[in-house]
Amino acid sequence: MNIVVYSEDPEYIKVASSYFPNEKIVAVSTSDTKYADELHVVDKMDEEAIAKYLASLKPDLLITGSTKRDKVVGAYAAGLLKYPILPDVIEISGNKAKRVVYSGMGIAELEFNTPIVVSISKKNVEAKERQTQKKNVNLEEGKVKKIEVKQKGGEGVDLSSAQIIVSVGRGIGSKENIKFADELARAIGGALGGSRPITADLGWLPEDRQIGLSGLKVKPKVYFALGISGQPQHLAGIKDSKIIVAVNTDKNAPIVENADYIVVGDVIKFCQEMVKKVGKK
Amino acid sequence: MNVVALFKIVPDDTLIKITGSTLDLNVPAKISTYDKSAIEEAIRIKEKHGGKAIGITAGNTDRKAIREALAMGLDEVIAIDMKEQDIYSTANMIADQLKQLNPDLVIGSEATTDSSGGIFPAYLAGLLGLPLISYVKSITIEGKKIRAERNLISSTEIVEAELPLVISVVGEINTPRIPTVKQILESSKKPVKSVNANVKPLVKLASVSPYVIQRKKIIIDGSKMEEAVDKLLSYLRQEGVIS
Repeated sequence: MNIVVYSEDPEYIKVASSYFPNEKIVAVSTSDTKYADELHVVDKMDEEAIAKYLASLKPDLLITGSTKRDKVVGAYAAGLLKYPILPDVIEISGNKAKRVVYSGMGIAELEFNTPIVVSISKKNVEAKERQTQKKNVNLEEGKVKKIEVKQKGGEGVDLSSAQIIVSVGRGIGSKENIKFADELARAIGGALGGSRPITADLGWLPEDRQIGLSGLKVKPKVYFALGISGQPQHLAGIKDSKIIVAVNTDKNAPIVENADYIVVGDVIKFCQEMVKKVGKK
Repeated sequence: MNVVALFKIVPDDTLIKITGSTLDLNVPAKISTYDKSAIEEAIRIKEKHGGKAIGITAGNTDRKAIREALAMGLDEVIAIDMKEQDIYSTANMIADQLKQLNPDLVIGSEATTDSSGGIFPAYLAGLLGLPLISYVKSITIEGKKIRAERNLISSTEIVEAELPLVISVVGEINTPRIPTVKQILESSKKPVKSVNANVKPLVKLASVSPYVIQRKKIIIDGSKMEEAVDKLLSYLRQEGVIS
């Protein structure tokens, strides 16, 4: 089987390699990896051009990561090849795959045949390093021209690998109040995140802090949901947390059904008391 | 300027309930959340540049939801009835319709709330061999040129391309309008073209089961916050998640 793996993030190439330890893996990426037999290093991040290159390799199985750009590249290539496609697969075995559906409420089991394009979710895996042969690929320019790239200010916080996350929702009340959650995050060595209303709609936190279905999916040891009501789209992003602590004045909020510990009370007071206690020890 | 908005009619995700080992999907249907932003953007472009705004939906063809899309301001909806669908079969059915319409711009949304794959517009663009701009947060069109701001997780990109093309929009691009009673009444006069699917899916959906992670749901009264925090910290230390 001709397996081609594409991701801008080398971690996904490792995960793909772990699924197929005994098959030849051809990786295509802008990054380096030790988990492929061949690595084709592409010289630019041009989604259409990379998709065309992937399609030209005529894979039986094209695996991509699940970053926003990875999925676009994989889907464009699948369309060019007229292959079926399965996005955000959390498990593959044989010709069966599982993925999360209905805003995180369901797991669908699907049956497929090759050729196919599959995008896979990140997980912790062991994979053996391979003797990687490298070659450089110069891509043609696609039809969409990049004029400007602006990095969003997120102080380089990596929420996707954080062990403790303090996350705020509308219930925090105001932009100014976010400082209480930030102090708590600092006191316990956690990262600060937020729900879609806080990040995308109100802009109280940068958008790269958005946790949920259309933002980041996180898996910390403990997730503090402060003033977050718990819409399905948010829950979908935090499902893999080991422990979820919710702080909310409304003991009937949907988050309550989806948390391990629920403190029914004021979010600001909670932050202040927590900072006092963990600061004392 | 002729614009096509793609939308999907899905079970209302805020009403779906898990009971035992089943997921109750027998709930009212609605237009998938971000797809309303795709419809709204198509209507705004039509209002500004003239031409037609046509909607295409595939899968569930619930008439109430289609009428809502028409009441918002679409001129016509093409409803492709599909009992079983995957991305391949849906994209092929929609591509057939698009080839007849030959639009300047096709607008989809970043993801639907049922399958949430977030890849449909990109797949369709590949299938049609059209350029694609995904995760669009704002656009301006001048003549044949489109300039768009793309919203990626850690960066924003400004890109340019020429029509025709496919874009996917994020929810932040606009606030979808709520139709007036008059618009709802008038929508019944607008045309709906029904199409039956003749492309079979290649991926088979074997089952859907609830995705439940059992949580402890221990309630701590926070009226005396100092005591509540002590209690919580002792739980968290027992769990070994905080030192």
